[in-house]
Amino acid sequence: MNINPKIDKKDSLTISEYIKNFARKHSLFVLAYGTGCGAIEIPPTMTSRYDAERFGIRGAATPRQADVLLITGYLATKTLKRVIRVYEQMQDPKYVIGFGSCTINGGMYWDSYNTINSLDKYIPVDVFINGCMPRPEAVISGFVKLQEYIQEGKADGWLKYQNNIEEYRANQKRVIKNWRMPDYNW
Amino acid sequence: MDWSLILGIIITIITAFTVGMFYGGISRKVTARIQNRVGPPIWQNFLDVLKLYSKESAIHHGWMQHLGPLWAITASTATLMFVPILNNGQFYENLNFSGDLIFLIYMMVLGQLGMALGAGQTGNPNSAIGVSRGLSQMVGYKVPWLLALVAIMIQFKVTSITGILELQNEIGWLMFASPFAFIAGLLAFIGMMHYAPFDIVFAPSELASGPPSEFGGKYLGLMMTSGAIFTFAKLVLFVDIFLGGASNILELLLKTFVIYMIPVLYGIVSPRYRTEQSIRYFWGWPTFFGVIGMLYAWYMIA
Amino acid sequence: MSEHIKEKETLEAITTAFEKVNGVVQRDKRIIVRTEAETIPGVLLYAKERLKYNHFSHMSCVDWIEDKQFELVYILWSPEDKIQLIIKCRINRENPIMQNIDNIWRQANTYEREIREMYGIEFEGLVGAKEFILEDWEDMPPMRRDFDTKEYSNDHFFDRPGREDAKDVRTEITERSGEEIPDFAKKYTRD
Repeated sequence: MNINPKIDKKDSLTISEYIKNFARKHSLFVLAYGTGCGAIEIPPTMTSRYDAERFGIRGAATPRQADVLLITGYLATKTLKRVIRVYEQMQDPKYVIGFGSCTINGGMYWDSYNTINSLDKYIPVDVFINGCMPRPEAVISGFVKLQEYIQEGKADGWLKYQNNIEEYRANQKRVIKNWRMPDYNW
Repeated sequence: MDWSLILGIIITIITAFTVGMFYGGISRKVTARIQNRVGPPIWQNFLDVLKLYSKESAIHHGWMQHLGPLWAITASTATLMFVPILNNGQFYENLNFSGDLIFLIYMMVLGQLGMALGAGQTGNPNSAIGVSRGLSQMVGYKVPWLLALVAIMIQFKVTSITGILELQNEIGWLMFASPFAFIAGLLAFIGMMHYAPFDIVFAPSELASGPPSEFGGKYLGLMMTSGAIFTFAKLVLFVDIFLGGASNILELLLKTFVIYMIPVLYGIVSPRYRTEQSIRYFWGWPTFFGVIGMLYAWYMIA
Repeated sequence: MSEHIKEKETLEAITTAFEKVNGVVQRDKRIIVRTEAETIPGVLLYAKERLKYNHFSHMSCVDWIEDKQFELVYILWSPEDKIQLIIKCRINRENPIMQNIDNIWRQANTYEREIREMYGIEFEGLVGAKEFILEDWEDMPPMRRDFDTKEYSNDHFFDRPGREDAKDVRTEITERSGEEIPDFAKKYTRD
């Protein structure tokens, strides 16, 4: 079995891809997994004040059902291990939104010994939302940006992960020294 | 080869899927409006299913895990085939042979059994808890549901749905001719729809969506499709038995919608029960009304 | 103000019961007692059994790198008198070993495991003396002050360029308040 398929990206979208992307764009199941303090901004985003469900964004309870992994805030190296496992359990196509300054450059934990600095070295990130914390408006604007990318076929972080798995693995193993993780088979 | 049968089956399935999906969308919209939100569009469920079918990878846990969703959709489609959509045979008759009420009681369990077996293979502890909860709850609501149906069978000496429909043309709706059985049936029906407070099987916040927690992508899409078809089948069955069926599609939609809104609206304002609370609920008043319905039936024929 | 009668009584009781103990009533409802490491279980047990300081609030550690010592801080609370009793002792920074007190208060076990991991202090006969909060940690215990967290971060994680405009506000603050940056802190500059 070829466990590491190289999937090429096409330049133009066919009609069936257009329809698929339309459906994917309007139906984003977000995994309810809060990694950092940013998770506190998710309840207002989902509930009646900002109501993300009108964009088709709703929570999914397990990684198997989810489309979007929302990394809410700082990632300790311990959490990174879980995030990688969760990300690998999600079904393609899957998207990652880096949420808050901590995922971009470490934020206020930039010199911490147990907090990673750039999330996109470990898993591919489609959209970053900056701010500490981003307000629910910013979160929704990030989701809308992701929807645009999905429609244009640009949200291809999952393809990037498949094609550059060795590089990502090397980076991950640099942080997670004792690597006792199941293999990622597609 | 009887082409009209195949055509009828296809049209019935498409109708059931469309109506069930739109009802699901409407329930999400109604929930949103009650929570003072805008809510998703009512065709949101179609987009969800389309997206799930367009997922490009699938997980493999074993044969039963593949068969589980297929079993569920087979069972719900088969249930649909035996339910007359409109009375007097105006719609496609599909497979409405006589004696089908008792058969349907068995058939309606089959889908959940398939789900249970499929979920059991995935090895996820949440699935196992969800399955055990689902089977316990089934023991709960099947009691008043069976009491209601048996009361009607005793009272009118008829076991086929077509027979019940013809009967209702003469004596009016059974919800008036056999009121206690109707109450028991309705309360059991609220549990059968698996909306809150009886959503202990799928409880997303405590069980991580329960039995389907390892099912993603196309499996989940199949389950949603199966759920939509089964919802429609259950609604039509309930309308056929208690509300005199329907003579045209509009009347059918009206009646099923009213019945559908009862569990939805009851669910929006109710928090989730625990398993034993749920079973105690079903073995309380619904069963009481079921027993009263049986006594009433016995009294009426005596 | 009651002139800290209850506090002074408590301090008096402790200092008379043990040698090598000195203490001070720091302020209202707070007593600080300094003692030797080997007297710690005795003082804690005495405070718990005789003086009714039966709530173990917290246990902490301070790294006095200039004195080559660790300071262990035990904070007790008396629910009756509403007084906080802080007991401090210092141990050698090289090869630090401390007595285990989780037979006096079981919750001390958690604090001791954390201090063991974060400062490298071994507690004698500590149950569960293994990996606790840090996962797969191979370096020096990270809360010690000679552990350079920025260097570790630079070595292990990827820095994204773009923080050049960040200012070092410490010089501004020290100039304004007329203080000096301590020697040990001078290596943490942005330059």
